[in-house]
Amino acid sequence: MSRIIIAVCFIFSIYPLNVFSGDIAAGEARYAQNCGNCHGPAGMGLASYPKIGGKEVPYLIDRLETYRAGTKIGPNSSLMIMMAQVLSDEEIANLAAYLSSVQK
Amino acid sequence: MYKSKLLSAAAVATAALLASPSHADTMGTPKISAMSILNGLENPWDMAFTKNGDMFFTEKCKGLSVKTKSGAVIKLAGMKDAKGYASSNSDLFCSGQAGMMGVAVDPNFKKNRRIYVASTSNKYHGSGCKTNFEKCDGNIVMRMEVSKDMKSVSNRVDIVKDIQYKPFESDHPFGGPGAHNGNRLRFGPEGYLWATTGDRHRGIVPQSPKLLGGNVLRIDTDGVAHPGNKPPKGFDKRMYTYGHRNVQGIDFRPSDGRAFTAEHGPWQNDEITALVNGGNGGWDPRPNVAGRGDCPDKYCGYMPNQKEGMLPAARAAFMPMSDERFSDLMPPAWNNNGLSQGTGSAAFLKGSNWGYWEGRLAVGIMGIGFGGTPSGMRIDVVDIAKNGKSIKSVIHMPTGLTKRFRGLRLGPDGALYAAVDEGEIYKITARK
Repeated sequence: MSRIIIAVCFIFSIYPLNVFSGDIAAGEARYAQNCGNCHGPAGMGLASYPKIGGKEVPYLIDRLETYRAGTKIGPNSSLMIMMAQVLSDEEIANLAAYLSSVQK
Repeated sequence: MYKSKLLSAAAVATAALLASPSHADTMGTPKISAMSILNGLENPWDMAFTKNGDMFFTEKCKGLSVKTKSGAVIKLAGMKDAKGYASSNSDLFCSGQAGMMGVAVDPNFKKNRRIYVASTSNKYHGSGCKTNFEKCDGNIVMRMEVSKDMKSVSNRVDIVKDIQYKPFESDHPFGGPGAHNGNRLRFGPEGYLWATTGDRHRGIVPQSPKLLGGNVLRIDTDGVAHPGNKPPKGFDKRMYTYGHRNVQGIDFRPSDGRAFTAEHGPWQNDEITALVNGGNGGWDPRPNVAGRGDCPDKYCGYMPNQKEGMLPAARAAFMPMSDERFSDLMPPAWNNNGLSQGTGSAAFLKGSNWGYWEGRLAVGIMGIGFGGTPSGMRIDVVDIAKNGKSIKSVIHMPTGLTKRFRGLRLGPDGALYAAVDEGEIYKITARK
């Protein structure tokens, strides 16, 4: 029993709680407000903006949190920093849930 | 009572008639329908037609293909690492906004089989391109010949080799390599080739007399300047105009042959401009001029406050798209109400099927929506005044599509063809 409890604690220490609580529908609605202008329908990637649909939740959350913190991680970082600065934890979780749910 | 009911019924019927599509039709408003004719493409950028209806098209990171009149799609000239093309060009590459872009068909195609393609190439970098602050000849215009069976191209000749290219990332919002190339190609009514270029995020380029960037070039099919070009003294003779930011749209008004450009603004002021031979677009993003100080990586194009939202009008006052301090300024006919939503291309509507829109300019708008600016993703139909200095009206074309409209071209069948970043080419038809 104690092993199970330790295992569960370990999983939650790797993945923050919001990883599991993203609302796909809310994420889709938030995505439609701004993100689709550049990343295209369902995050397919357009022009010089990368494909983000189908990426894993931890990756998406890490990227959005990194941008929100103002850290550059690519040539269009300034754009993403501007867009991410206004996102709440919940919005990030929802966006990640939605984008990870679309077909790769 | 009975009479009043009759009057009411008549009023309703009249109102219904006024609101009905048939009434609109008597005004000459065309009925618009859009149909996808190619999908699954990767960043289609431009199209060009033979008089027979064969459609050449480019994909930014792949190459040149043709959709023949019979419907077959043949991959003709590939870029580096592109698969399945009849021929390969290892010097042609894509990066960020750059890659294979504009395409034009020679007016004498039936006889000479020639087409022209604008692309990014590393063939002429030479000793340049080692930093962002030096000459970098990285955009070219090629001439090729298409086989009679439409299955291959040959005899490539690079007729312009020194259009500027941005080789490295810089500290700007759209700061990746390959920014602002222009690269739309169109033949003018006089039979010369017009090529657009961009400022490539280098402050000194648009007002430079020698560097090709932020210009509209007018050349012959060997790349030689039109003898009638009138750039200022000491400027490269291939320049028809200079001082632009990033011209991605150009076409010629059917009524008088005058050239008009559609240009993408920074975070303000997309512009449509009537070109004047030798004129200045008025874009000057150099640091330490016009009251501006130092700017990130010697380019003021996104200043002030380039990393946060700001009123477009305040930006325009600091860094105007069309700076009125230039005496040779070509003032824009339209500035998208002070907003930048990304004007990508333009095509005049020709043919009576377009009703009273005939002769108006269709402008493709992509989708930039920063700092509270509403997203574009539409085609505007712009009625430009005869003198080219203002517009009379703008209508959103009811295509039913919300897409990033990258390339527009009128086909020989009178339909408007639209390449969208989502990977499709649409045929948009109009009937009265």
